[in-house]
Amino acid sequence: MASVTFDHVVKKFGDVLAVNDLSFTIDDKEFLVLVGPSGCGKTTALRCLAGLEEITSGTIKIGDQVVNDIPPKDRDIAMVFQSYALYPHMTVFENMAFGLKLRKMPKEEIQKRVDAAAKTLEIQNLLNRKPRELSGGQRQRVAVGRAIVREPKVFLFDEPLSNLDAKLRVQTRKEITKLHNSLKTTFIYVTHDQVEAMTMGTRIAVINHGVLQQVDTPQTLYDSPANQFVAGFIGSPSMNFFQAKISKSDGKLFVVTDSFKLEIPKEKNKVYGPYDGKKVIFGIRPEDIYNPEFPSTGIKAAPVECKVDLLELMGDEIYVYLMSGSHDLVARVDPRSKYTLGSKVQMAFDMSKFHIFDIEQNPENPIAIR
Amino acid sequence: MQFFPVAQSREPQKNEADFPRKLKDRLVIVLFLLPALVLFITFVIYPIFRSIYFSTFNWKGFGPAVDYVGLDNYRKILTDTVFLKAIKNVLIIITLSLGLQLPLALILAVMVGRDLPGRSVFRTIFFLPYVLSEVNTAIMWMLLYNADPERGFLNAIMTLLGLQPVAWLADMNIVIYAIFFTLTWKYFGFHMLLYLTGLQNIPKEIEEAARIDGANAVQNFFRITLPLLSSTLKTSVYMSILGSIQQFIIVWVMTRGGPVNASETMATYMYRYGFVRFQLGYGSAVAIIMFLFCMIFSLLYQALTRKPDYLTGL
Repeated sequence: MASVTFDHVVKKFGDVLAVNDLSFTIDDKEFLVLVGPSGCGKTTALRCLAGLEEITSGTIKIGDQVVNDIPPKDRDIAMVFQSYALYPHMTVFENMAFGLKLRKMPKEEIQKRVDAAAKTLEIQNLLNRKPRELSGGQRQRVAVGRAIVREPKVFLFDEPLSNLDAKLRVQTRKEITKLHNSLKTTFIYVTHDQVEAMTMGTRIAVINHGVLQQVDTPQTLYDSPANQFVAGFIGSPSMNFFQAKISKSDGKLFVVTDSFKLEIPKEKNKVYGPYDGKKVIFGIRPEDIYNPEFPSTGIKAAPVECKVDLLELMGDEIYVYLMSGSHDLVARVDPRSKYTLGSKVQMAFDMSKFHIFDIEQNPENPIAIR
Repeated sequence: MQFFPVAQSREPQKNEADFPRKLKDRLVIVLFLLPALVLFITFVIYPIFRSIYFSTFNWKGFGPAVDYVGLDNYRKILTDTVFLKAIKNVLIIITLSLGLQLPLALILAVMVGRDLPGRSVFRTIFFLPYVLSEVNTAIMWMLLYNADPERGFLNAIMTLLGLQPVAWLADMNIVIYAIFFTLTWKYFGFHMLLYLTGLQNIPKEIEEAARIDGANAVQNFFRITLPLLSSTLKTSVYMSILGSIQQFIIVWVMTRGGPVNASETMATYMYRYGFVRFQLGYGSAVAIIMFLFCMIFSLLYQALTRKPDYLTGL
């Protein structure tokens, strides 16, 4: 068991900057999820930690030990690969025992550990099979088993669920979380799926273009995204964004877009007041836009005229794709709502839950104003 | 409105059309196979049986074969010390190929298979000898092996180093090894290419997983790479052994099996009797013996190594 520290880690492939000045600490026994879109550098960061890639500069520490120049086998880590990477010529037992045999562990101890792991993962009946005789889900379990028996300081998972079907993914997600609870070891988990990130991680690190965007608990990330990228990446469907301007009239603050003008609640005037007259990005999550017939209690509803573009019935809710002026937006509304395509409707924006991002200071990735 | 007019119109005819359609399918298969079958029978099967027939005659190749000798030719061949020497030479070439040539090809494949700068240049250089014709190769090496230090490159170097020049192709104890060296130079690139393809089929993550599991480079090679390369190795060994049994051109051009049969192979022995001495009956018998060697080896090899490939399961 150990903490893991990335200290100004840079990884370049030729001229391509895959990981750019990554610095954060993963606490002992923490379940940290690295999340970001494809090609954002999250897997590279994990591979650097595993020792499969040499870092260009910076320091990686496992516990108190700097591991920059330590080969993978001596880092005391175990990794579950996206493709599982099982040894095709070995049985399930041999796959799981391989690392232990290389470490010259006594046979009885190997047997004991493999049996225990197989029992935990419910794969006792598969021990004599070869990987090609297993289903995707079973292979995934064997890959996890191979990691467990080693009893490493740190577990690394590289998108381990992406090859499973949707139902199995949900089930395995729960099992990995349970595994973390029972093993009480540091888990580092890479995924591009923000649902996995939100449901599994004790903390989430969001990465884009090799740069750490924000690292925090799932709820904080969701409620207070640090910038527009995080706001858009976490949450499904994504947050709605509008080019807007803050303007003051009659002592009240407004957020003004080309199709609507909404009053900013008084208690937030102090925060947004200094931005009077400035261009900003206004963001609001789909679940904070209501059908006025079915509002939640305690919301600060502000009416916005929209046109219904498309409906997606989810059963427990409806995704309504709308147009406000030339803007697309989506709302998650009560399933009892009745909408007709093309009709004009009035939606209620909950003005206690909106986000404002400063586009003038950082136009590439506007930072949240708080 | 009909969305699937084709499916609907086919439906009622299904049962009636079933039988003739099957017949038609078979006819098509036969028709497509026919040209290949005719060629195969004419140029492979028929000559084999014709050779078996001739091998039971004492026949010079002119006029009809009338002097029937039964299995006499076979008895003579299998008791001829020169033929036994040829078998011994073939076994030497096979042993050296498996022991030296293929491991060398494998080591080079592993080396040029890595992401190192200039690897494609080395890959091309190593493969070049295989592209060269066998006669060219043989002549080139005859020049290199020339016993006169003024002309032969190898002996020039030997002299420079203060050593006695060696009669590479004239010394009965050395000639077969000199030829083996040429064969290695010519064919290792081919095996290297086979191994490279095999190595490329091994997913990188499997070797990475082994590295994390604690395997060093040597353990990774012997416990992961080599087993996963087994089906390529099987093919490579098979082709190397068959190639050794049938080796002819390079030996014939360089030494004609000499001096004093010291570099004789089964193929040069067959050619000498069949096409130099025109004992076509005897030569045919040698060819049939070689054919039997190859066939028995092939069948045994296939039977012994019939394990599905780990990566593809085939």
